[in-house]
Amino acid sequence: MIGDLEHYRGLVEKCSHCALCEAVCPVYLEDMLETHVARARVDIIYQTLYKKSMPVTPRVREIIDRCLLCTSCTQDCGGAVPVHEIIITARAALYGGRRRNPLRDYFTRTMMAKRGIKGFPAFMLAAAQKLHVAPEGFPHVSLRTFDSLYHGSYPPTGKKRAKVAYFTGCATNTMDVETGVAVMKVLGHNGIEVVIPDKLMCCGIPALGEGDITTAQKMVRNNVAILAEQEVDAIIVDCTSCGMMLRSETAKLLPADDPLLAKAVALSPKVFEVTDYLNTIGLAVEPGPLAESFTYHVPCHRGWTPTLNEAPLQLLASIPGLRYSAMEEPEKCCGAGGAFFMDYSDLSRGIRKRKLDDITGTGVAVLISQCPGCRSDLSAGLGKGWKTAHPVTLLRRAYGL
Amino acid sequence: MEIKGSRIESLRKDLSRLLGGGKVRTEPEDLLAYSSDATRYYAQGKPEAVVLAESVDDVCKLLRYANQYAVPVTPRGAGSGLSGGSTPIKGGIVLDMKRMNKILEISKGNMTARAESGVVLANFHRAVEKERLFYPPDPQSMDVCTLGGNVACRAGGPRGVKYGTTPNYVLGLEAVLPDGSVMNTGGISVKQANGYNITQILTGSEGTLAVITKVNLRLLTLPPDRKTLIIVCDSAQLAAEMVSRIIYEGVMPSVLEYLEVGAIWLMNTYSPIPVAQDGQVYLLIELDGTAAVIAEDIGMIKSLSEKMGAREVKIIEDKKQADGIWKARKNLSPLILRIFQKSISEDVTVPRDRIPEMVRAVREIGALLGVPTGMSGHAGDGNIHPGVQLYEITPEMEQKAEEAIRLMIEKGIELGGTISGEHGIGLHKSAYIEKELGKAQIELMKRIKYAFDPKGIMNPGKIWTEA
Repeated sequence: MIGDLEHYRGLVEKCSHCALCEAVCPVYLEDMLETHVARARVDIIYQTLYKKSMPVTPRVREIIDRCLLCTSCTQDCGGAVPVHEIIITARAALYGGRRRNPLRDYFTRTMMAKRGIKGFPAFMLAAAQKLHVAPEGFPHVSLRTFDSLYHGSYPPTGKKRAKVAYFTGCATNTMDVETGVAVMKVLGHNGIEVVIPDKLMCCGIPALGEGDITTAQKMVRNNVAILAEQEVDAIIVDCTSCGMMLRSETAKLLPADDPLLAKAVALSPKVFEVTDYLNTIGLAVEPGPLAESFTYHVPCHRGWTPTLNEAPLQLLASIPGLRYSAMEEPEKCCGAGGAFFMDYSDLSRGIRKRKLDDITGTGVAVLISQCPGCRSDLSAGLGKGWKTAHPVTLLRRAYGL
Repeated sequence: MEIKGSRIESLRKDLSRLLGGGKVRTEPEDLLAYSSDATRYYAQGKPEAVVLAESVDDVCKLLRYANQYAVPVTPRGAGSGLSGGSTPIKGGIVLDMKRMNKILEISKGNMTARAESGVVLANFHRAVEKERLFYPPDPQSMDVCTLGGNVACRAGGPRGVKYGTTPNYVLGLEAVLPDGSVMNTGGISVKQANGYNITQILTGSEGTLAVITKVNLRLLTLPPDRKTLIIVCDSAQLAAEMVSRIIYEGVMPSVLEYLEVGAIWLMNTYSPIPVAQDGQVYLLIELDGTAAVIAEDIGMIKSLSEKMGAREVKIIEDKKQADGIWKARKNLSPLILRIFQKSISEDVTVPRDRIPEMVRAVREIGALLGVPTGMSGHAGDGNIHPGVQLYEITPEMEQKAEEAIRLMIEKGIELGGTISGEHGIGLHKSAYIEKELGKAQIELMKRIKYAFDPKGIMNPGKIWTEA
C-alpha cells in the first residue's frame, strides 16, 4: 500500500543504480546535479528512512520534495521500481500529511473534497487574479461550475451505443468548464449515454502528492463506493491525472483487508481518458472539416494505458483539414506538476522554458493536451495568440455542437 | 578513509572561492549521490566534495588547486559506468562534467564533429543524424552516458561488430593536465602521423592521466535503411556457429546480439517480441545499408539458417515494434533485477570462433559452483558479457559469484581473449590486468601515468592494484 514504508522496502532495494533515469527526469535535466535524480533520491530515502544511517536533514527533505511526481522514471525503469510511489511514501513518513501550510492543507483536504475552488474562495481568487497578486500560471476559476450545469443522467442523441459515468475532475469542474461541456456534447452526439454521479470527491492526487495518505484514502473510498454502484460500460475522465489515479493508484491506496479493495480492482480496467475511449468505441458520426493546425503535448501521467499517448492524434485524424505538427519530444514534461510550479517556481519555469521552445518551434498556434495543469501553465507561458485546449474541444467544434 | 568534517569544510570554502559556490557541493546527501558509478554493489567511496564544471577554465582552476594540495580528483560523466571507474575510492573531489554539454561543430564537409565532453551520447546521435551523418558507437547507456566517458573508457556497444568502438572515431582531444595546462591532441584530419599518439593514450585512460574537456570525432554517412530480425536457435552451439558463419559469408550485420532464452523472456515483459519463447538462444540482428543490400543480406541469412538448421528467422517489419525490442535490449540489465537480487555482468571478450568454447565453459562454471550464469551480449565481436546472477545476497553466494567471475575471466584469457571489450578496467578488473598484459606492460603504464600525473591525483586506485 502507498504510504506503508515496509511494503516498499524490497522495491527500494531493487534499484540497480543503472543511471538510466538521468535521461528522463525533468528536475535532473534542469539542475544537472545527480542528487536530484531518481536513483539518488531512492538511495537517500533508503539511507535515512530504512537503514537510518543518515539523519533527516533539511537537505534530505529538499531532495524528496524537489520531485514533480511526473512518473517518467517509473515508466522508464527496467527494474520496475515505482519511484513516484516511493517518494509519496517517504513524504508521508516525513510529514505525516502536513507537508506545507494550513492553507495548502485546507486546499487539498476541504476544498478538493468539494471538487475544486468554489464559492467565496473562488470569488477571492478571481479578485486576486484581477489584481495580479495570484501566482502566475494558476488557472482562472470559473464562478459557474460544471456541476452547477450538469448532474444526473443524459441520454444520447440517436441510437444508444454505450453508457458511461463521467468522473469530472476538479479542474474541469471549476476552472475549465468548457472541456466538460465538450465531453458531454461529443459523447452524447456519438450515441453514448452519460451519467454524472452525485457526491464524488477529488480523485485524491493532490493530497497524495503531499503524502497525505489519510485524505487521499478518504477520497478514493468515497469515489470507489459511488462508482462501483454505477451500471456503466466505462468510467470516463478528461484529465489524465484523475485517470491515472482511478486506474492505477486507487487500489494501491487501500489496505489488503479493506472491503472496497475488490471493487477498486474491478473498476480499474473500466477507466478511460475520453479520446482513448472514443477510439476504442469508434465515432458514430463523421466530424466536419476544421482548417487549422495544432501541436500536441503528451501529459506525463500517461503510463496507465498503452494507447493514451497517441489517442488524441488518432481521434483527431478523423477531422478533415485538421493538420498535426509534431513538436520535438512531445512527452517532455512542462514543469507544472500540480502545485510544483508554485513551490519551486524558478525550477518549474526553467523546465517550462525548454518545453515552450519546442512548442513555438512548430509554427502553429493551437496546443492540445489532456492535462488541465499542463494546459494552464503552458498557456500562461505561451501568452496571447495561442489557444490551449483539450483535444475533445476540437472535436466539438468540428461537429458544430 | 574517514574524512574529518573540518577538512570538508575547508575544501568547500577553497573551492567555492575558486569556482563560485553554485558549482561546489559538500553536503553528505550530495556526497552519497556521487559515491559510485552504476556498480554500487561492488564498491562505494565517499568524496569530500563534488565539483560541477561549466568550462575548461573551471577544470584548469580545480586541477591546479588539487595538484598543489595533492587532493584526488575522479572525473565523472553520467556515472553509468560498469567498472567502478568513476567510484571515488580514495575520496577527494568528484568532477562532474555533465554541465559541459555543448556540441560545438558538426562539419558535413569534413564529416567530423567537435563537442564538449559532457554531451550525452544520444543527444549527439540525434544532432548528427539530423544532418544525415552517423556516429556508430552505441553503449547501451547511450541515453545518459557522455562522450567524455565513452572516450575515457573506450566504450563500445552492439554496433561494434561492424563499425568498431569509440577509439575508432576519436581524432583529437582537448584535455587538461593535472598541473592545469590545456593541450589539444591530434586534430580533425582523418589521417595523422604527428609523433606519439597522445589522443589514443588518453582514449581508454579512464581519467587517470588528464581530464578530457573536448572531443573531435569522425563521422560516417547515415545508412539509408535498417531492418531488425531474430533467429531462433535450439542450441547454444548452433547459435555460436551461426555468428561466425554469417560474417564469413560476407553479411556484416550492424548489430549481432546473442541472447539466451531467459533474456528474451525478460525483454518480452518490457516490449513484445514476436517469436517462439521456447528456443535456447536467439540472435537479434540489425542490418543497415540500402534497401537492396539489406534484402540481399536477409536472403543470405535465411538460406544459411535453413542449411544450418535454425528454427525460425523472423523479420520485424513494423518499425515501432523493432524500436520496442531494441529499447528492451537497452533495459536488459535492470530487467534482470526483476528476478534476481543481484546481477554482475562481465566484459570478457573472446575471438569470435572461440565463442562456443566460452559458452560451454561459462555453463560449466555455473554448474560447478551452483550459481546461475547467463550470457547475453554482442556475439558478433565476441563480447558476449558472461554474467552471474544471485537470487539472494549472502556472504557465501557473494564468494561463489566472485569465484565464478574469476574463472570466467581466466578462461577468456586462456582462449586468447581480453578481460574487457568495452567497459574498461576500473576497479573490477584491476586484479586481473597483469595476468593479461604482463608485468613489463603494467610497469610501462605506470611510468606513463607518472609522466602525466607525477603527484598521482588523477582517479587513483584504478586500472591496476597497488603493490
